[in-house]
Amino acid sequence: MEPTIQGDANVRQAGHPQIAREIVKVTVAYLPAPKPFHHSYEDETTIGTIRTESMAFFGVSDHKDRDTHEFFLEFEGRRLSNLGETLEKLLGPHRREAHFNLVEQVTQGATSE
Amino acid sequence: MTLVYPPIESWVVTEEVLAGTLEGVRTAGRLGREAGVFWLGRRDRTARISAVVVLRGVGVEELPNCWRVSPEVFGAVTRWAMPRNLCLLGVAHIHLCGVRPALSWTDRNFGVRAPGVLSVVIGNAGDECDYRNWGWYVFEGSDYRVFSQSETVKRLRIDSSSGDERWIADANGVRPLMERQ
Repeated sequence: MEPTIQGDANVRQAGHPQIAREIVKVTVAYLPAPKPFHHSYEDETTIGTIRTESMAFFGVSDHKDRDTHEFFLEFEGRRLSNLGETLEKLLGPHRREAHFNLVEQVTQGATSE
Repeated sequence: MTLVYPPIESWVVTEEVLAGTLEGVRTAGRLGREAGVFWLGRRDRTARISAVVVLRGVGVEELPNCWRVSPEVFGAVTRWAMPRNLCLLGVAHIHLCGVRPALSWTDRNFGVRAPGVLSVVIGNAGDECDYRNWGWYVFEGSDYRVFSQSETVKRLRIDSSSGDERWIADANGVRPLMERQ
């Protein structure tokens, strides 16, 4: 395994060999916001975690009124619905950065004007 | 939120943007369908809308009483806009003849809900040319709020400068508008 970019991402457990995780620099863009969300994550981080943290950054949340509003991360034009998928699984090994878009899916519960 | 969405005191909208918007929505309007555009630019205290993105094609539904843009279209526009340092400053769409140019419940709740984003409703199926007769709303707190008459004068500056860009987008990407016209 290649060395990590940031040493503080190494996971050290007493009596066990050090496990060095890859660090992925993640960028999430949201169209109404002028600046994206930036954060470095270990590659075992799930898409769900990134979705939650970027949504908090942009001040948006899933909700239901007459319609159902859900936010998704989009990667290379594909909406990511498996929130348990890790960065490593999504990107493959040794990918050190990833760009996502945050998009909203509104499922209408009724029609109106 | 202030850091994420810096406050906007006023908007500069050029005559080109207004004309590009009307051109972008009229075709659908005359066919009895709603349509709309995104307004993009840099988010500053005075935010200048510098690009009109007409939404038409894959992932865009233009229906008689409803206009919907899929998340894939938002994604395509986001991928195009971010490297250009553009963000969404407003959404303009039409209401058909006989329907007031005011946000419906669906418009308020189905659209983008982020601080300072404009939502503009053009009446008469896109044939209402006078922007002062359009419905101008800004998202504040938890909902869109209509501009007062004085606010329209004070916070909107209609500029005759040129150089603004017109684009067309769907789920497959963003292209210069000329390609399709």
